Amino acid sequence: MTIQRNRRDFIKTTSVGLLGGLAGCTRGGSSDDSGGAESGNPSLSLNEYENADIDWQQFEGSSINIGAVQHPWVSAIEPVVPVFEELTGVEVNWNVLPEQEYRTKRLTDVGTGAGEWDVFFVDQVVNQFREAGWIQPLDPYFADDSMYDEDWYAMDDLFEATRWQAHGGGYSDTWTGSPITVEVQTQFYRTDLYEEHGLEVAETFEEFRSNARTLHEKAPDVIGTTGRGQQGYGMNIYVLNTFIREHGAQLWDDYPDNSGLDSEGALSAAEWYVNLLQDYGPGGVASQTWSDVLSTMQSGRAGHIVSDANLFWPNLVDQETSDVAEDIGVAKVPAPVDGEFAPNAYAWQISISENASNPEGAFLFMLWASSEPTNTWIHLNSSAAFSVRQSVWENEEFRSRVGENFAQVTLESLQAAAPDPFDSYYPQWGQTYSEELQTAIGGNQDVKEAMTSAATVAEGITSE
Amino acid sequence: MSTPTQTTPPNGSGLSRFRELWNDYLPYWFMTPMVIVMLLITIFPGAYDLYLSLVKYNLANPATIGQFNGLTNFETAFTSGGAVNSFTLTILFVAGALALETSIGFVLAALVTGVRSSWMRTFYRIAFILPMAVAPVSLATITRIMLNTEIGVIPYLIGDFTPFTAPSFLSDVPLLTIILVDTWNWTPFMFIIFYAGMSSVPETLLEASRVDGAPLWRRYLHVIIPYMKPVLFVAILIRLIDLFRTFGLVFTLTHGGPGTATELVSINIFQTGFTFVDLGGAAAVAVVYLVGIVALCNVLIIKIGFEGVWD
Repeated sequence: MTIQRNRRDFIKTTSVGLLGGLAGCTRGGSSDDSGGAESGNPSLSLNEYENADIDWQQFEGSSINIGAVQHPWVSAIEPVVPVFEELTGVEVNWNVLPEQEYRTKRLTDVGTGAGEWDVFFVDQVVNQFREAGWIQPLDPYFADDSMYDEDWYAMDDLFEATRWQAHGGGYSDTWTGSPITVEVQTQFYRTDLYEEHGLEVAETFEEFRSNARTLHEKAPDVIGTTGRGQQGYGMNIYVLNTFIREHGAQLWDDYPDNSGLDSEGALSAAEWYVNLLQDYGPGGVASQTWSDVLSTMQSGRAGHIVSDANLFWPNLVDQETSDVAEDIGVAKVPAPVDGEFAPNAYAWQISISENASNPEGAFLFMLWASSEPTNTWIHLNSSAAFSVRQSVWENEEFRSRVGENFAQVTLESLQAAAPDPFDSYYPQWGQTYSEELQTAIGGNQDVKEAMTSAATVAEGITSE
Repeated sequence: MSTPTQTTPPNGSGLSRFRELWNDYLPYWFMTPMVIVMLLITIFPGAYDLYLSLVKYNLANPATIGQFNGLTNFETAFTSGGAVNSFTLTILFVAGALALETSIGFVLAALVTGVRSSWMRTFYRIAFILPMAVAPVSLATITRIMLNTEIGVIPYLIGDFTPFTAPSFLSDVPLLTIILVDTWNWTPFMFIIFYAGMSSVPETLLEASRVDGAPLWRRYLHVIIPYMKPVLFVAILIRLIDLFRTFGLVFTLTHGGPGTATELVSINIFQTGFTFVDLGGAAAVAVVYLVGIVALCNVLIIKIGFEGVWD
């Protein structure tokens, strides 16, 4: 396809790209969708919490240290943290770091037993940390009547996928932490181009591929689709895992002996994704990170994103950052004709350090932060859109703010979603799996060869 | 005549004995702070690294931490751990970047030295050292966007202003790309040292060669470069060591990929240590890397430095 661009477009798109790239996002969010919570006196009432049968004041005078990654959740909740401090008398100290720096600091803090943080952000390393004995199970705190009120907290309001992930993605019988944000795979498309070319929103893989081909071939200046090709366990495999599940396959058919990566379903999923990106994706798609995907869509250079974090939505429809803010549509990710809709959900959780000096205070904070009143307030008073509670996604005021269609697509996707099973060796075999997939996306290796190789490595690592 | 009474050494108070000891070993006392600092920042970490490389130290498997592991960590690193590929890539990266940075830095220094207007010389000096002021990670972030095939300025310029189609830099030619980006970032370092070296060549030598009718290339070959040998050697040595430590730029640009196409040793060590939490495996690669770099630098200093530059 011949690409015609003028100088104005070029400057505009480059600026958009720079903004997007430097936005400091973490796995699909961005600093731009963080804020918005008004400073000054928060309107969150203490009454919301005083109704709970919990002795909030039992650790009055103590303090907790929170290790956090730079994430929109932090800036969304910070304005109401004084409410927690007033409610409990527990002082909250933040230690917020950029993602890579945070991961390194987290490892040294818990690995060396320094215990500087009482509570900290945990992601795919949850089982690695759990098996190493670096995080505490929450069950004893939930069992303490003075610290937990089942009726007030409404556990069932948390999406099943997030509760499942807080149990180590199924590897743990106990609570490993409290989910604080959740994102789910969704499809984004250009409504103006769909209208112009008479396209229908795809529900199946075949329909999506057809739509991507149409735009790739007929729409000037637009590639059919863009998607994550970069390696790293939060990159290309984060997207592919949805398609594997939708093909009826799963990671770890039989842990630790059969990774499922070379199963028929996984191979079909990988073939489909790799071919899609190679045929209708951008040049150099193998090195596309999530920020490249977002920037390309924001600049109007792509017709679709087949599957990526629903958290892209605020950035895509923000007139300040997106050239095509008025023309973005959101839909559920497509599924194979004979497959099932089963998107991948990903949740950040906060966990209590084994070496925490104030674990009880930390638990009260976790409970407060993930409770319905706090979740509702931060989602109505900032541009946050990552609530782990169904009630927030059903809240009319919230739906009106984020858009009815986006809220409904996300709600239905989250209700059908499942988390990835991050076993304790996931960081290791996930890295190799993503490297192999990247090589296939780059066209330097056959897909079957890549997935078979990834399976061999994964099974070798876990059987050690 | 009375003979002078021989004075006996003071049968000393603690203070005087200390003073005596202090004076006898004065040079060693002066050395002591530096020795302590060296022990703390070099010898101890090096020895601890060696210890880690010989034991099991996978943080995800705490039950086995500290068990003696012999040379297994080394064997694993160099058979299934990708260390051989990483060492090969690192050598290619260092050789390529060093050659480019040295040659371009030298040419730029020569051109600026030849500028007659002092105002223009100042302008060029400032302009040429600006890239060095950019932090590697920031540079890598911006470069990723500039190289993006859809929204990047470089593919746009190549596609619209040349008869060529821009490659997908980070996918098609990743090693060359990181060499070129590092060259852009660090050539100023070579330029500024070479420029200082060229400026210090005595005018009398240059004048004499001009009177003798030597053409420009002969003046460089027989006067300027021989005079600058120590400067050239030190600059190349410093840059060589620094190139072996490259991490942030490459990690941000490619994450070691595609696949393992740019997985330098520093990235291999980081992933083994901080992603796989296998500190024993990471330490094994680090020990080999450290020994290799120290050996290479010593050979260069002894063979080229002392025998070729300062002899």
